[in-house]
Amino acid sequence: MKLAGYTLKLEKKASFSGLEAILISVVAIAFALFLVGFIFLQAGVNPAEGYKAIFTYAFANSFGVPLTINRAVFILLSSFAFIVPIRAGLWNIGMAGQLYFGALSAFGVAYAFGARVSGAVLSPWVVIPLMILGAIVGGGLIGAIPGVLKGRFNTNEIVVTMMLNFIGYWVVAHMIKEGGPFMGSGGEGEGYKLPVSIQAPVVSGVSILTLAIALILAVLLYVLFTRTRFGYQIRAFGHSPAASRYAGISPFKIAFLTFVIGGALAGLAGYHYFGTVPNLNQIPKNYGDFGDMAFYGIICGLISQGNPLAAIPLALLFGGLTSGGRYVQGKLHLSYGIDYALLGVLMIVLVAFQFFFRYRFVLKKES
Amino acid sequence: MTEIKQGDIVLQARGITKRYPGLVANDHIDFEIRAGEIHAILGENGAGKTTLMSILFGLTHPDEGEIYVFGKKVNFRSPLDAIDLGIGMVHQARKLISAHTVLENILLGHPHAGAILDMKKTAEEVKQLCDAYGYKIDLNAKVWHLSEGEKQMVEILKALYRGAKILIMDEPTSALAPPETEKLLETIQLMTKNELAIVPFITHKLPIVLSVSQRVTVLRRGKIVARLNTAEATEQSLAMEMIGREVLFNLKRPDVKIGKPILQVENVSIYDDKDYWAARNISFEVREGEIFGIAGVSGNGQQPLAEALAGLRKASAGRVLFQNEDITRLSSLKRWKKGIGYIPSEQRAVGSIGDFSLVENLLMSYYYDDLFVKWGLIDTKKIRQLAQELIKEYNVATPNPDVRARNLSGGNLQKMILARVFSRKPRLIIANLPTQGLDVGAMEFVQNKLLEEKKAGAGILLISEDLDEIMALSDRIAPMYEGEFMDILPGGSAQRETVGALMAGHKQKAVEV
Repeated sequence: MKLAGYTLKLEKKASFSGLEAILISVVAIAFALFLVGFIFLQAGVNPAEGYKAIFTYAFANSFGVPLTINRAVFILLSSFAFIVPIRAGLWNIGMAGQLYFGALSAFGVAYAFGARVSGAVLSPWVVIPLMILGAIVGGGLIGAIPGVLKGRFNTNEIVVTMMLNFIGYWVVAHMIKEGGPFMGSGGEGEGYKLPVSIQAPVVSGVSILTLAIALILAVLLYVLFTRTRFGYQIRAFGHSPAASRYAGISPFKIAFLTFVIGGALAGLAGYHYFGTVPNLNQIPKNYGDFGDMAFYGIICGLISQGNPLAAIPLALLFGGLTSGGRYVQGKLHLSYGIDYALLGVLMIVLVAFQFFFRYRFVLKKES
Repeated sequence: MTEIKQGDIVLQARGITKRYPGLVANDHIDFEIRAGEIHAILGENGAGKTTLMSILFGLTHPDEGEIYVFGKKVNFRSPLDAIDLGIGMVHQARKLISAHTVLENILLGHPHAGAILDMKKTAEEVKQLCDAYGYKIDLNAKVWHLSEGEKQMVEILKALYRGAKILIMDEPTSALAPPETEKLLETIQLMTKNELAIVPFITHKLPIVLSVSQRVTVLRRGKIVARLNTAEATEQSLAMEMIGREVLFNLKRPDVKIGKPILQVENVSIYDDKDYWAARNISFEVREGEIFGIAGVSGNGQQPLAEALAGLRKASAGRVLFQNEDITRLSSLKRWKKGIGYIPSEQRAVGSIGDFSLVENLLMSYYYDDLFVKWGLIDTKKIRQLAQELIKEYNVATPNPDVRARNLSGGNLQKMILARVFSRKPRLIIANLPTQGLDVGAMEFVQNKLLEEKKAGAGILLISEDLDEIMALSDRIAPMYEGEFMDILPGGSAQRETVGALMAGHKQKAVEV
């Protein structure tokens, strides 16, 4: 493109710094908010006020903040479930199914201890750790299915994980709906409520146990990828399956283990949301919505470029936008789905801005 | 278009400059090509040949400079513009559709190929072309049936039929067996005489340049450093211009005592990816301090054999012994640990990870070593230090060990791969096309390193397409053709012609010689 003696050119970048990556992400978010502003205008709402309402509710309101954090932890764990396989070049889009099975196993453990009997008093020191273990094992076992199929028969992991989402969805329905063993006492299509004795610790409405687990996992995963032998093998396989096979890395081991770990992490997300968030402590009727929310973990994982620490602020942002978006929809009488629209536009813009990680515009004077 | 006479300037480049981040690939290149000449463009890898060629064919835009074709200034938007002006290109990697016939491939992309294909007319026209150049090819044969030489012939025919008057050929002999190369050179010479087909000829194989071209342009680091009439040049002088210093073409072969057998291969047969026989009934042994050379054109089973020995492919029959232990079923990792080092032919796709730093690439051979990884944690300091030492020892041109492997030139990358494999002190080295695509300087370095390992007592299995390399380095030579060893000859006394004929599958001819 030529402009008054200058040429605007597109140049391929050799590399980009972490600071640049942050800057690009911030600009992308601002641009997405600008675009969604038109939706507010169309609905007759001043965009500045709309955003103010969203962000104050999400990040500075005593009801909104715990909701934001609880959702952020959920999205963060889902994004870890995506990140571990994607670093090996494998796509896990089955977080929904894995978290359903994780939640079912956790509630299954509690069930085995008699938690469904009304008025049951159980030891949290025994049951809560076992529920967490159950969630990890349940999610991990489901993750093992695409892992084995990929590693052994090179089956398309996207298709397998996607299909398992449906299986998970209907198994949950079978377990909690009318006549299911985990049916709640109300019998209105929701799971049984955990007795107070084994509800996880909550501070100011935030489930601190799972929050702590998620933050520790972020650090552990970061160390895994940067410092350990196993992390190195995963990354090598992700960059070049042929070269890593040449170096003696077993493709089966990588596919199997990354999917088992991914599934286990998603299982934890299921336990976190259904098992620990106050006022829930049961598998709710609309559990499918949370399966959908797990997909934000994919975007989170992609934008963070597979970096588990970088996923933390992104998960917080997404968590805030889901809680704040839903809130303004009611408060400002917007039509249904403004929160989904906001997140959708944000994702598309963030993905489109990935372009700037690899290219830059240069202005050159005509010689 | 006016009538062109022998000797007219048909293509001219003026001040062609192309910059990539951190690199000037072409720096003010001026040259011209005349009708009826074979003009060789010579240069090391990374000298800028490929960039120049892409610019002349319209695949890349130059940042500066002008191109004139038949005296007219042109601005190529895409290769289609170049083709329409009569420029044809034969790529190093074949661009044919292997499931289609020769004729269909020739017609593909031709303006004649409209909604209705007139196969009959095309067939006749192509036959005339074939007769003119003495080509013999079945136009209805499927391309996957053809040999490499025949496929190349199809590419040339395709370009000529499309009306090419200027033919650019990229490394035209790289995939051909010696007899096929001779045939190609004959044809090219015929083309320049018979008609006004003009052939700039791009290669780094010096004897070929000397035998067929009239003029040579030598590129070094993006600049033209010499323009010569071939008659005035010698192999030595061209090599000096190319790399800027004198090259020794005679390798010093150390006198090494050949020791105990280190690798014994007994009646091994291997299937390829398509379930065809890739190698059949192969038996041989490699001894300590010996270089066992497998000579052959790529695609005759060398690669599957090398992979089977490295543990990357299953042998369907036979046994492999390493230091008297049966390793036929061992994984590649266990073989690495036992002291088998494999240098794969594909440096970038298999031998290294482009997005990894040199340190991380070095880890490919160290991640399983408990001296470098304790409790699962990588000793970053230690591996980095080793990388720095190896970079120095192997003379790898890089500012630091954190550079990504993809930013290294072919020669430097191969040095790094050698450094990685050899630093594990392997007892057996499988070197698959170790000097393929390398410039003269790097080639010499790699060959000397192989000889050093031989001196240190390692057994080396050398797989090469370069007959000169095989002849110069090997203690024993096995010419391989269609998955079989044609013979096993002693390296010192074998005749070059005999090996050449055997690797092309001519057993009878070998007997006559």
